[in-house]
Amino acid sequence: MARTLATNELPPVSATQEIIEKSKDSIEKSPHPAYLHHLATQIQHNLQYQHSWSALTVHTHSPLTSVALPRPMISGLPPKRAYIHPDEQVAVIKEEHDTGKKIEQIPEREWVLPTHIKETFTLSSFAKVFNAIGVVPPGESSQDEYDEDDEKPVGHQWQGENRQKRLLLATLDEDSTVTYYIMHDGIVKPRQN
Amino acid sequence: MPHSSDLVAEPVPISLVAGRYLLYDIDVVTYLRRTHNICGVLIGGIPQAPQQNVFQGLPLELLPEEAKLLVDQNIGYVVDDAAWHENHYTTLHGKDRQNYLESLRAQGLKASQALNAVARQKQEKALARQAIVRATKSADSEREEIGGASPSKDTDKMTPTEAENPSSRPISPAPSDVSKFSSRAWDASKPLAMTPSTSYNSSSLPRNPNPPPVPIAPASYPLFAHLHARKYFMMPGLRFGCNYNVYPGDPLRFHSHFLATSYGWNEEIAMLDLVGGGRLGTGVKKGFLIGGEDVESEGEGDLVRTFVLEWAGM
Repeated sequence: MARTLATNELPPVSATQEIIEKSKDSIEKSPHPAYLHHLATQIQHNLQYQHSWSALTVHTHSPLTSVALPRPMISGLPPKRAYIHPDEQVAVIKEEHDTGKKIEQIPEREWVLPTHIKETFTLSSFAKVFNAIGVVPPGESSQDEYDEDDEKPVGHQWQGENRQKRLLLATLDEDSTVTYYIMHDGIVKPRQN
Repeated sequence: MPHSSDLVAEPVPISLVAGRYLLYDIDVVTYLRRTHNICGVLIGGIPQAPQQNVFQGLPLELLPEEAKLLVDQNIGYVVDDAAWHENHYTTLHGKDRQNYLESLRAQGLKASQALNAVARQKQEKALARQAIVRATKSADSEREEIGGASPSKDTDKMTPTEAENPSSRPISPAPSDVSKFSSRAWDASKPLAMTPSTSYNSSSLPRNPNPPPVPIAPASYPLFAHLHARKYFMMPGLRFGCNYNVYPGDPLRFHSHFLATSYGWNEEIAMLDLVGGGRLGTGVKKGFLIGGEDVESEGEGDLVRTFVLEWAGM
């Protein structure tokens, strides 16, 4: 008797489901529909457990204007630099060659835009997303702030607030695969050419 | 060093033939490429190699975007070729006709003289070389006192120039003076038959009394103009399934940086297209560039907004 009952029981909830359950209260208060939150949660889960990102935050409001974002977005810290500008790479290699010392690439906080493969976007909606976010996501950065007087590190022209506005376009497929693309606001030359 | 393309005067005529915008003047083609980043596509067969289509020659076909840009910026103007020829050559009588034929003859004469000068130079060089060979040979034979063998050798051997150009090979074994050469040289007084690649001088062509309308460019024109204003070179993007291949400099010197696709401001873009374009671009070491004109903005001037996608490597 106990065995037949067991087949009617639901299997244990998945890790993603647990996160969704836990965030139920905050979703109800959010300006965005629940499915967008679930999408963000799933991307966040993928970043955290598959790509070892840390300091992940879901943003519902623009850090610039405090108006609601077009959809919930994620910011986080990748385990290593997600993007190095080709000119920065050249400068770093040159400096390493000249001094013989290796230059550490400290990861920077990145914006992530969760999307689903079955969705459609428009240039206008991308523009709205970019207009609503700052160059660097708010929050703790592992990068040490350098003083004005200090010698600026090699490649600082392409780091922090000096970098071109960018985000990671995370696209979720039906089978929960996620692909990530670097998307720049404006023309930025490719990394390898 | 001055080039003949430096003498091109703006605005240049663009021939409209059967709905295509064509350039027939090599100087104009070079000038536009050098000064205005306009590449176009060469579509003419090469007479010496008619069986291949890897390397093409004149005429150069311009994209409608390129033609529109040139007209908009007053660098070029469109001439309806058929109408112009009909109008011009049916009214070409009497003195005008004589003048035209005379100008053709003068051009032919100029070409003939130029060819003659080249041929002459070649022959003089060959003569000088022969003289040196003969001088060393005679000196050798005198020293070694071996007679009879060397003259026959002299006739067997040809100098490299003669081997390259058998028609200029002297009939007699060793001509000794230049006058013999010049008698066989090009008859410089006879004009060559000319087939001009353009039927008008680009500077002498009068403006159209009723010019054809400004070329109609596809919807991707704002993106084209935006990139062109930033000194990029554009080539047709068919081979990568996009609107344009975008080069940071002359395509003969650089690999392209972007695959550019234009979208309407509120045109729906499937995420799969972005993923596919981004992956193709990264696979060929380029960025996938999407862009279009912001029709909702109230700003002025260039309202094109662009985004570049690259695979994040994760």
